[in-house]
Amino acid sequence: MFELRQVSKRYGRALALDALDLSIAAGRTTALIGPSGAGKSSVLRMLVGLEWPDSGEVRFDREPLRREALLEQRRRIGYVIQEGGLFPHLTAAGNAALLARTLGWDRARIDARLRELATLCRLPFEALSRFPAELSGGQRQRVGLIRALMLDPKVLLLDEPLGALDPIVRHELQAQMRELFDTLDKTVVLVTHDVAEAAWLGDMLVLLRGGRVLQQGSARELLEAPADPFVREFMTAQRSVEESA
Amino acid sequence: MSGVRAMGRWAGAACLRARSVFPAVISAPRAVIPAKAETQSPSRSGAGVRYLRHWMTGHSSVESPAFAGMTAWGWWAGVACLWFVGILIAATPGIATAATQDATHQAAPRHSAAAHVVIGSKNFTEAVILGEIGAGLAREQGLDVEHKRQLGGTRILWRALENGQIDAYAEYTGTLAEELLQVPGADNAALREALAERGLAMTDSLGFDNTYALGMREARAAALGIATLSDLRAHPQLKLGLSNEFMQRADGWPGLRDAYGLPQKPDGLDHDLAYRALATGAIDATDLYSTDAEIPYYGLRVLDDDRHYFPSYEAVYLYRADLAQRVPAWVDALRGMAGRIDAATMQRLNAQVKLEHRSEADVAADWLGVDAPDTRGRASRIWQRTREHLALVGISLGLALLLALPLGIFAARRPRLGQGVLSLTGLLQTLPSLAVFVFMIPLFGIGAKPAIAALFLYSLLPVVRNTHAGLTGIPLELRETAAAIGLPPRTRLWRIELPLALRTILAGIKTAAVINVGTATLGALIGAGGYGQPILAGIRLDDIGLILEGAVPAAVLALVVQGVFEAVERMLTPRGLRIAARA
Repeated sequence: MFELRQVSKRYGRALALDALDLSIAAGRTTALIGPSGAGKSSVLRMLVGLEWPDSGEVRFDREPLRREALLEQRRRIGYVIQEGGLFPHLTAAGNAALLARTLGWDRARIDARLRELATLCRLPFEALSRFPAELSGGQRQRVGLIRALMLDPKVLLLDEPLGALDPIVRHELQAQMRELFDTLDKTVVLVTHDVAEAAWLGDMLVLLRGGRVLQQGSARELLEAPADPFVREFMTAQRSVEESA
Repeated sequence: MSGVRAMGRWAGAACLRARSVFPAVISAPRAVIPAKAETQSPSRSGAGVRYLRHWMTGHSSVESPAFAGMTAWGWWAGVACLWFVGILIAATPGIATAATQDATHQAAPRHSAAAHVVIGSKNFTEAVILGEIGAGLAREQGLDVEHKRQLGGTRILWRALENGQIDAYAEYTGTLAEELLQVPGADNAALREALAERGLAMTDSLGFDNTYALGMREARAAALGIATLSDLRAHPQLKLGLSNEFMQRADGWPGLRDAYGLPQKPDGLDHDLAYRALATGAIDATDLYSTDAEIPYYGLRVLDDDRHYFPSYEAVYLYRADLAQRVPAWVDALRGMAGRIDAATMQRLNAQVKLEHRSEADVAADWLGVDAPDTRGRASRIWQRTREHLALVGISLGLALLLALPLGIFAARRPRLGQGVLSLTGLLQTLPSLAVFVFMIPLFGIGAKPAIAALFLYSLLPVVRNTHAGLTGIPLELRETAAAIGLPPRTRLWRIELPLALRTILAGIKTAAVINVGTATLGALIGAGGYGQPILAGIRLDDIGLILEGAVPAAVLALVVQGVFEAVERMLTPRGLRIAARA
């Protein structure tokens, strides 16, 4: 679905991506992990045209990403950031239906689609008439998902989607998201710094470090056949309550 | 209140002195720059707000939450609607006429067939009285006459006369020769010739010469036997108290001292105090104008300028030469004034206005022996001023928004060019407001138009700057999200960025309105009317009551406007943002 070829990107002096090659398979959930500054978010932002490579090429659906075609390409991608990235001046429904309305969907069609997605994302339908400030963090996240799914895109990009949630809500949402991804059969790319979350949600993990891909594979592969001592270190760095208590 | 009183006193003193005989004071030697009255903005919005409320409630229902947040379409329609309505109201014939109409309170009988003539006057009492006399003469001829009174300076009247926006005004030959025609020392024949080249003409002297002079108390002068300036030489012990300006000007005291060989060492003092100092004997002589109202009041003797040191400032009416064809009877009547008003008469008329607080129109009508024109009641005057002021502010601010909002958006989109836009509008703000008003006269004449043009320029900066700041202050992740979810640029601007920047933009509009209302009071100087009119007259006449007649409604208007703007802000601020602000 996505192909990055020899992609480099600098911010001032810092090299964010260093001739990175990455292929993201269609219909699967890929989790980008790695330490801070590894380039996870840069990769994700490049997939949706928020960043452009200094050199190299990004291909989406076999076509290179082009500025002229960007609007159309972005509409085939759902994009969710931490807390949903909701616009505070619009209600949840206003946020979710923004693009559909712009594209001229009629009211009945929008309402029907919202009902369907609210059920799918387990959000009470009434909550859609509230403003983001009136919703809980988990609800905001669900609204963000509904907005991303509104046009039924082939691809979902999620940047630290569960970053700001408390552990219980997070746990619950992780479970529901896995179920959702399984049902929807979409290409999902998500960025997280939580290895367990990546392993739980992702069919495929991509471990980045210093703007390069260190290893790509299933969680089990990364655990059992680390390509580099750092992979092992990173995969096992998280302290469990068991060992801490 | 003491501030207003102090302003009045200061300005009153300035008025007396500002009628400098010397040509050097910028372009308007006989003008007074009034203190600016701090006021705030009006806004006409009733219909717009109702419309908005309809818009904002219309779609909010739980049954269709899809549309509950969609009222942003309405906000901007509403903002546009608000100002469009404002402009429409302001532009309705009644108010537009009111704004451009003269500032006198006279309700001249309007015969549909009668020729319409316009007389102007400078911003000091004697000029306004002469203007009223000229207007009275026209009325006697059955003409429909308009008096554009107390315009801000010699240059303004001169240009208006040249352009045909006024037909006549009273001028002094000295000013004409030294400053307007720039032929110092020319005799009246030469002046007439120079005027004729410009399609203008003048009457013979009305009978008095309003030049600088020195004056003493009659009794003291008689006791010492002093009648002329030369006589002062023999009395070196005399205490001279001269106004500071007269002391310092090369063609004031230093020139006079050298011309007459005067031995005295004068003290500088405030001109208002000089009369009182004369009365108590603290000083023996001071400088004055030969038609000052205070001369008879304090029993002063004007010393004869026997060496003709001071240039001659004979009062005449200037008028457009084509007037002789258009309204020959009025020209004859103006000419007939030649020699009719001597210095003592002018002093008396000035005193009736300045010291007895009668209106110029009454004094002029009495002297002419005709009925005074109807004057309006105070409420009617204030209503008239209010309409004029609202029109000035509403139209200029409305037009400014049409340019400033797009400019602000442009500046936010193109940071580099945007800096240029911001600097340019900032530069406009640094221009002295009176100068901008005067610059607009060649382009727009006198009246409401140049004032609106000047106020338009002043309104740009706050709106451009706040629009820019509001848009660039939106959190990056929201701007990026709007782009990343595939919204087209136009939708991003109208549905996301402008609503999020709305509060900042409204604050800018409010600032512009405040600046605008305050500055609009200066419009009276170029014949635009408004609250500046009574303030200007009050300052000129040192009449607190008149000043308050402009200042109090202005303050009330300010409060109303403040309230209206806050209501508009509350109404337009998306509910989601208000909740977010609380949370």
